[in-house]
Amino acid sequence: MREVLNTPLFGIALSIVAFKIGIWANKKLKNPLANPLIIAMALIVILLLVFDIPLDSYEKGSSIISLFLAPVTAVLALSIYRQRALLKDSLLPVMMGTFAGALASLFSIKWTCGLLGLDSVVLSSLMSKSVTTPIAIALTEQFGGIPALTVASTVISGALGNLLAPVLAKMFFISDPVAHGVGIGSCSHALGTSKALEIGEVEGAMSSIAISLSGIFTVLLAPLFFL
Amino acid sequence: MKILIQLALIFGICILGDLISSLLPFAFPGSVVSMLLMVLLLLSNLLKESAIEESADFFLKNMTFFFIPFGVGILRYAALIQSVWWQLLVVNLVSLLACFAASSWTVVLVSSLQRRWRKKRNA
Repeated sequence: MREVLNTPLFGIALSIVAFKIGIWANKKLKNPLANPLIIAMALIVILLLVFDIPLDSYEKGSSIISLFLAPVTAVLALSIYRQRALLKDSLLPVMMGTFAGALASLFSIKWTCGLLGLDSVVLSSLMSKSVTTPIAIALTEQFGGIPALTVASTVISGALGNLLAPVLAKMFFISDPVAHGVGIGSCSHALGTSKALEIGEVEGAMSSIAISLSGIFTVLLAPLFFL
Repeated sequence: MKILIQLALIFGICILGDLISSLLPFAFPGSVVSMLLMVLLLLSNLLKESAIEESADFFLKNMTFFFIPFGVGILRYAALIQSVWWQLLVVNLVSLLACFAASSWTVVLVSSLQRRWRKKRNA
């Protein structure tokens, strides 16, 4: 019976249905905390565990969806391009903002890891977790951390950013869409950016540009924290 | 056919981005290189917005969907995460708040300084 699921179509169909349920629940509950991404992820994990379906069966199809992550990130270029006039006007604030964000992220991770008594291997694995996964993994390898822990942590920070993006602006009294977008992109990379695009065009564009800038700043700044 | 051509164009730029990324002397992901490359192509008018519009908008509108497998994939590291799950959550939440506050407030501060400076220069 389980062999039936051994087709890529299973993982793809399951992901689409789970996402549809997530969007439906989000609309029905009218609460940003009923997050489609997190609902879809949870539904799939529960289904796989309850019916004892191996992750490999799901990944036959889901790896095909993941194939699109690069083009999906690349076309963020269009959202940046559409806001080029605004971006040109606010290039300095955007750059300073992502720089401050990268610095605050590194400081706070080092500080909380120390406070929780986590060892240096865990610290090395978490330092880069606010930036896009490929950069984060490269930095973790450079500092002698565990890449799996970095991947898990980039997922958690991305999902948290996706979940909290609408709430954060209110929490910190941010009404400027440029500041909101830069904030989302700095702390939760492309996963947060997908939510920023839903919030507004300016937020989405600024979050997109913040992904690349905070990646660059983190690569430059992170080594200083291991001196 | 139009959509297929658009997809081929986008994938082509991604392959070019990966190629450039592999030639860089430091680790920088191909997907982000592709994004910056596409911005440059659009700005220089070598790539028209209409040449990728429909496909790009489809990806942008459904972007969250493409991250579902990536999230589910951490199931593979369930044992590792179970041992430190609450510490991971605390570190992530604290750094998320710190990073968001620092970056967004810096943008607000710098842009208001910039506005004041521009007004003074024009006066």
